[in-house]
Amino acid sequence: MSSLTEFVEKLDCADEAERTYAAEDIGYLNIPEGVDVLLDRLRREPSRAVRDAIFQALTRIEAAVAIEGLVGLLGSDNPEIRNQAVDVLRHKGARSIPFLSALMRDGDKDLRKLVLDVLTGVDAGTGTTGASEIYTAALCDEDPNVVITAVENLGKLRVAGFRTRIEELLLADSHPMLTGACLEALAAMGDELSATAIGKRFPDLSAVPDFLLASCLKALGAVGEAGAFAEVARLLPARGRHLRPAILGALIAIHQRDPVIPSGEGFLTALEAIIEDGDPPLSRYQAVRALGYLSSRDDVYAFLVSCLSSPERLVRLGATESLRLTQRPGTEEVLFLRSLKETDEEVLQALIC
Amino acid sequence: MRRSCRLSSADRTLMAEISIELFQKLSQQIYQKLGLHFDEKKIYFLKKRVEKRMSLLGIDDARDYVFMVSYADPQGLEMQALANLVTTNETYMFREYEQLQAFANHCLPEVLSAKQARGDRTLRIWCAGCSSGEEAYTLAMIVQEVFPQAYSWKCEIVATDIDENMLEHVAAARYGARAVGEVPAEYREKYLTSDGDGWLVRKRITDIVHTYHLNLNDRMEMRKMRGFDFVFCRNVLIYFDDLSRKAVVDHFYNALNPGSYIFLGHSESIGRVTTAFKLKRFENHLTYMKE
Repeated sequence: MSSLTEFVEKLDCADEAERTYAAEDIGYLNIPEGVDVLLDRLRREPSRAVRDAIFQALTRIEAAVAIEGLVGLLGSDNPEIRNQAVDVLRHKGARSIPFLSALMRDGDKDLRKLVLDVLTGVDAGTGTTGASEIYTAALCDEDPNVVITAVENLGKLRVAGFRTRIEELLLADSHPMLTGACLEALAAMGDELSATAIGKRFPDLSAVPDFLLASCLKALGAVGEAGAFAEVARLLPARGRHLRPAILGALIAIHQRDPVIPSGEGFLTALEAIIEDGDPPLSRYQAVRALGYLSSRDDVYAFLVSCLSSPERLVRLGATESLRLTQRPGTEEVLFLRSLKETDEEVLQALIC
Repeated sequence: MRRSCRLSSADRTLMAEISIELFQKLSQQIYQKLGLHFDEKKIYFLKKRVEKRMSLLGIDDARDYVFMVSYADPQGLEMQALANLVTTNETYMFREYEQLQAFANHCLPEVLSAKQARGDRTLRIWCAGCSSGEEAYTLAMIVQEVFPQAYSWKCEIVATDIDENMLEHVAAARYGARAVGEVPAEYREKYLTSDGDGWLVRKRITDIVHTYHLNLNDRMEMRKMRGFDFVFCRNVLIYFDDLSRKAVVDHFYNALNPGSYIFLGHSESIGRVTTAFKLKRFENHLTYMKE
């Protein structure tokens, strides 16, 4: 078997490919002694390809010294090196956490932010010793970026254990970006108490600024009760077209969780207007789906059937899916007859499934 | 507004459904991990396949499924299972035609003229993961067409695959109607010949395609692959995990001559795997070059 010494010599070769192979071979040796050699070469290596190979080799070396070395690279001035180090540390998983804990304690705000960047890709989430402590510290950090990153991570990982703290941050009337992050996190892992917190923070949805409304609606869609449906529905005609997907998304989500038949002509009129003007296009599909909630009405059912012939494929797709859920006698035949004329492959699949 | 009333249980089937927001989140994950792009035109296609996976796994909330593939799938097994449902193994000649146009109209002439200028009369193309050979023969036809002088050069298309049965298929050079369906009529006339219910590739094309058994994960064998002007590895790397994918692409880099090109599937991005290649745009096509 070739020795480390032989590969170390090749790391200094003029030929780029030979240096790549040497780095790769050192990775496969998987011995702690390889780490310093690779880190030393990394500082001097001019080729991106070889630097990539060095990081892959560090991924393969299982010894703790490799993690230690990678944590050290988080302080590099070179963003490429920092980003690669974050990636490899994520691969290392929970074994990185003890080293990251130390950095969270002693590092500056940029390093603390990078610690959280690593942690977002660590499969163990907060279930591993040390991870919870890092998040607890991060949620009280003096730097808003660190707090925001922690909230974002916890939302992505759906760590309900930090829900109360995130609700407190939401109620604290903090930085708008933090408010947005809290809403997004609660959308992912909140519960009915989160809905109460959102209600306290934003007692009047119509007064929520545009830049927060989409996140607010997402959270309400995830945790709001059926009673919120009407208030959200009232936003449809009142707010800008760019918010239609978020409003419709919230309505559909609330309805899926707690089905209610919405009442009022205003809702029907708003949906019909969206289907008519189709701006943005995806909202057309959502509106047709939401219209399905009213399909027990004969006029709505007839309208949905007419949508099967719409020139817009998203309208046809939405109408097909809405009609399929009505369970009205004769609907299957209507869909079958339409399938004989349908030319779009996707819509056809929906019609005949 | 009038008082709302409850819906029937039939409407609760919506519970399993994937929302627009989840569709966007999932398609982003699929793009990041597999390099496959699903836009809103594919919403139904993807939804149905996700529902199939959810049903098999006993998951009844689409949010749980998206969370699982995003954050709780450390080995990428579920993403792989989904990939098997959303990708097609079908291969045929002149697949991803626009990408081949970029090769034929821009990259190949550029490489050939640079070689001609320095008196180098060799052209080597590596078709990695060649499967049954449709792509290798497509490239051979394009080379013949774009560069008629090829006969006086040392032109070689090296078709490699891990499956020896596939390599036998390449050597036989016989294809069904479906495999040749996209071959332009004039190419079919020149380079294929009818053979009962199939088509045979003519000898002047098969002569420049050489097969070689190769596992892309065998690093020692991969190191022997050097001096290529083009690497084609389309829709193969999506089946590799992150680390193996990076290692394979590093080997492709070393296999290429400076100034040469790599082509992955049109939906796969090298930029997510390595920063070593330079991105170049030809009309609407993005290609990656080794400087």
